[in-house]
Amino acid sequence: MSIELLLALITGAALFGVGIYGALSQTNLVMIMMGVELMLAAAMVNLVAFWRYLHPDNPAGQMFVLIIMTVMAIEMAVGFGIAIARFRAIGSVEMEEAAELKE
Amino acid sequence: MNLIATAILAPLSMMALILLLRRLPAALALLGATVGLLASIGLLANAFNGMSDELILPGLPDMPLRLVATPLTALLSTLVAVISNLVLVYAVGYMKQDDEKVRFFATLLLFVSAMQTLVLAGDWILLLAAWELIGLSSYLLIGFWYRRPGVRSAATRAFLYTRSADLGLYIAVFILIANAGSSEIATTLNTSGNTAIVAGLLLLVAAIGKSAQTPLHDWLQRAMAGPTPVSALLHSATLVAAGAILLIRAAPMLPSETLLVTGIVGGITTVVTGLIALGERDLKRLLAASTSSQYGLMLVAVGAGVPLAALLHLIAHAAIKSSLFLGAGVFQHSRESTALADLKGAGRDRPRIFFGFLLAALALAGIPPLSGFFSKDAIIAAALSSPNAWLLASFALAGTLLTGAYMARALRILWHGDGQASAIAGLGWMGAGLAGLVTLAVILGAAFPSIETLLHTALSENNLAKILGLGAALGGLALGWFITGRRLLGPLQPWAQQGFTIAGGFDNLMVHPALAVAHGCEQLERSLYNATLAVGRSGLAMGRVVRRSDEQGIDGLIFSLVRGIIELSQRARTLQSGLIHREMAITVVSTTLIFGALLVALLVYR
Repeated sequence: MSIELLLALITGAALFGVGIYGALSQTNLVMIMMGVELMLAAAMVNLVAFWRYLHPDNPAGQMFVLIIMTVMAIEMAVGFGIAIARFRAIGSVEMEEAAELKE
Repeated sequence: MNLIATAILAPLSMMALILLLRRLPAALALLGATVGLLASIGLLANAFNGMSDELILPGLPDMPLRLVATPLTALLSTLVAVISNLVLVYAVGYMKQDDEKVRFFATLLLFVSAMQTLVLAGDWILLLAAWELIGLSSYLLIGFWYRRPGVRSAATRAFLYTRSADLGLYIAVFILIANAGSSEIATTLNTSGNTAIVAGLLLLVAAIGKSAQTPLHDWLQRAMAGPTPVSALLHSATLVAAGAILLIRAAPMLPSETLLVTGIVGGITTVVTGLIALGERDLKRLLAASTSSQYGLMLVAVGAGVPLAALLHLIAHAAIKSSLFLGAGVFQHSRESTALADLKGAGRDRPRIFFGFLLAALALAGIPPLSGFFSKDAIIAAALSSPNAWLLASFALAGTLLTGAYMARALRILWHGDGQASAIAGLGWMGAGLAGLVTLAVILGAAFPSIETLLHTALSENNLAKILGLGAALGGLALGWFITGRRLLGPLQPWAQQGFTIAGGFDNLMVHPALAVAHGCEQLERSLYNATLAVGRSGLAMGRVVRRSDEQGIDGLIFSLVRGIIELSQRARTLQSGLIHREMAITVVSTTLIFGALLVALLVYR
């Protein structure tokens, strides 16, 4: 295992940790989503690293990254749509008191 | 417009109009009958000019309904139209006091149009339909005064007797159609051999029923319960004539065996019913018995192989018998009864009506130059020239003798006695109808030669027949005038007055079996009905059992499953908080645990 791959994996793990912390600690919906984005970005960093240093001939790694980027874009669109709708209806996007999904 | 259609539809449409408007029944009926008469005369004129109208209507596949106006049918159609017209004129007066003119005239018109259809029918199917229709309308007319005692049973009896005999017609028609492959009457008349014998005998059965021949003569006398114009129409040109018309039309087909049977049946009838007429105590019943007797003479002529003679007598008899009935109707109105004992001297009150009655009676007896003389002469000549001359001729002569005797008896009773005149409403109309018919009865004899040329057959001249016929008629008249009917009949008197009812009467032979069959059918139907009900009830019980097992078995199972799932899901709901952070924390923790476990497993089992 080369040193570059190890560095890339450490970067990915750090990013994932930051993302998970953000998603769990923040109360604003937008911030939670940013945490989720960070976690997805960490996954992408890992995928790119594995492709680049272990199997540079196989295009499947690139394809995975592209798919994850698409999923991210869609997720952002849906998430911001929900945030805007909630803001219009209630006037806040704070998630602490949002328990309506239960019913 | 087609003349055939007019002849049938004019009375029929007026019937509908009468039933619709419910007023002016007499005027509308006269209008319909007159239009029909004009159409019939048109048909006859065409026939004289050698044209024959035809109307083909769509019917069964390959068996269209045909109406044809051959010389024979056009002649009969005219006869029906003329008689019904004059009878209608009479009925306007006769029914003046009656409350139900609408029903009366409507039914009468239905009767006339059904008879026109029967006469003009060119195929057996249409003929059957018309045959049934005249049976129905005669039932309605005989039972017209259904509230009076005995009328309903008389109508039912007439219906049952004729219907039972109609079975013969049905079977004969099926045999003929199956044999010839066509329902056209003209085609089926080429049938020969055993088929023709069987079919001919079956047709004879139908004719016996409709024309009230022995042994089914009883219903006709009881049918006198109907109004007098109905009797006049029934006896002269319509219902009763249908039987004879059937045989006349089928005559070219009948083989010699069938002809012999026909002649014998007719001969027996003419004698038996003649004797009944001698013993009758009621004027209308006397005339009814005489009708059977005259139709018996016609059957003798058919049996002798000369249907033309039968046709001539049918025509002459139509005019004569309807005028006799119309005269009897006037006497009935003036004395409120038709019993001969009450009618003594009724003729003296109304000499003009009596004169008409007298002319008709003499015509029926066969006195020249009245019409009956020529037709009776033709029948006797036919009987003399047939292979069974001695048998048929003696029947014909006996019939003629009896005719003279009972007519003279009726005349004597009507003339002798005290007059007691009373005013009658509507006498003018009645007189007009009667005058028309009596004129026909007197002069029709002059038309016979042209009828012979129309039908392209000539009757043989026979002077012996003329002398014998005239002798029998005069002898009969003299006997009837000078000797009372009771003395003439001698030991036959009680028998004749019961209508020669052998073995408890023909009720036992015809009506009771028919009723027994009907009763049996009813029993069968009742048991079938009960069986059907039982099947239904068992089905219902089975359904109830299935429903219970459904409700308590399968439904219970499914509902308990559903209840369990609902309870389980209610428990599962408590896990849900709806708070994103809690959910997310649970996710992270559980994912970490799973991955941790996997990692440990990897390290340990490496």
